[in-house]
Amino acid sequence: MTTSVIKYVGRATDFKGKTLWEIIGNLKNFGVGRIIVRSVFERYPEPSYMKIVKVETTPDEERRRVRIWVEKTFRGKKLPNLTEIYRTSYKPDYKLIPKNEEAKLLNATAVHETQEILPNRIEMPALMKKFIIKDHENKGLEIVSDFTMPISYNHSPNRVKRIAKDNEKPTVQFTMGLGKPASPSLYEGVPLS
Amino acid sequence: MLSLSSLLKRTLPLVIQSAEAHRKPRWLPVAKSKIYRIPKRPVISEEERLELLRLHNNYKTQMRSIKRFYHEEMIKEKSSRESASSEMSQRIEAEEWARCVELNEKWNAQVALDRQERRKLEMAEQDEYALKRMERADVLQKERIAKASEEIRRQKELSPTFITPETLEAAIDHAIANPTDYNFAIDLKGNRYEGRDVQITYAKENKAAKSASA
Repeated sequence: MTTSVIKYVGRATDFKGKTLWEIIGNLKNFGVGRIIVRSVFERYPEPSYMKIVKVETTPDEERRRVRIWVEKTFRGKKLPNLTEIYRTSYKPDYKLIPKNEEAKLLNATAVHETQEILPNRIEMPALMKKFIIKDHENKGLEIVSDFTMPISYNHSPNRVKRIAKDNEKPTVQFTMGLGKPASPSLYEGVPLS
Repeated sequence: MLSLSSLLKRTLPLVIQSAEAHRKPRWLPVAKSKIYRIPKRPVISEEERLELLRLHNNYKTQMRSIKRFYHEEMIKEKSSRESASSEMSQRIEAEEWARCVELNEKWNAQVALDRQERRKLEMAEQDEYALKRMERADVLQKERIAKASEEIRRQKELSPTFITPETLEAAIDHAIANPTDYNFAIDLKGNRYEGRDVQITYAKENKAAKSASA
């Protein structure tokens, strides 16, 4: 499967490394106990790595994939549950950590933490407000005064930021407008209201 | 022939070029000459990247909340509509039901009348058919009986000639005494000479005439 000469075809990719099976298939006991990393997560200063706990091979139709369970540490924080890797196991983005470098990762203490609290409600956009007023008038319902709606977030075990509960005061505020630019230099000469 | 002036005064150009987009159909694979071409990725500055990331994240959060809001509203509306219908329109539904039952009974009565009428006609038809069949059967039976009695009469008439055990001996004797030979021969003139062992005697005058002529 692996060849020394690589000829690239098609679009460039951010991935760097091998597929999971290319690594695991060559290891003793399918690499249980070894440490792998996703190279896209190496952009963070804190260490992200995965320790292989269990490996299951897949039928021949899915020969690019493999089903493994890992103890995952993301940005220095170890997740409480085992993580299954199957759907993403074909991605050529995994890297095996040599045994003499494992200690360096395991002993790293940097943890990504933040005290930020995300809001749980957001104000409606202007047109939606007007639409809702009209709609309630047409249906003969009471006139609304609260023009906010709940924000829904995608679930992720990697989330560090907390979502505000009930009436908790969030530290960041999302609006329907442009918001505060991350790079103000791009908006020079543009009136931001 | 086209005249030069008509050619020059024409409204449409002689050759029409259509500018179609030259494109590979979607289902064809990558062209051979383009297999190893790696498209250049856009280079954006770090500032721009951060700003675009922020804007995209904002947009996705906003759209997700709007979508979720309307989805939940739709579900709420649906459930409220169902509950409302269960309360308010129960009366309407009952009325509708009563009306339907009444109408149904009316239809049923009408259908019952029609059915009675039809049954009467059908019964009459069946009776007629059965009677006809019986009559025909009677006639046939009578004919058969007549035929049989005729046969019996004929056999009775013939019965004195039957060979019974008593008359068997006499019949055998009679048969031996009068043997019947069914063999026969035919001459050229079609005269029949019955019997196998019959001596054929030709007419004498014929022979004499023949010998005289010879």
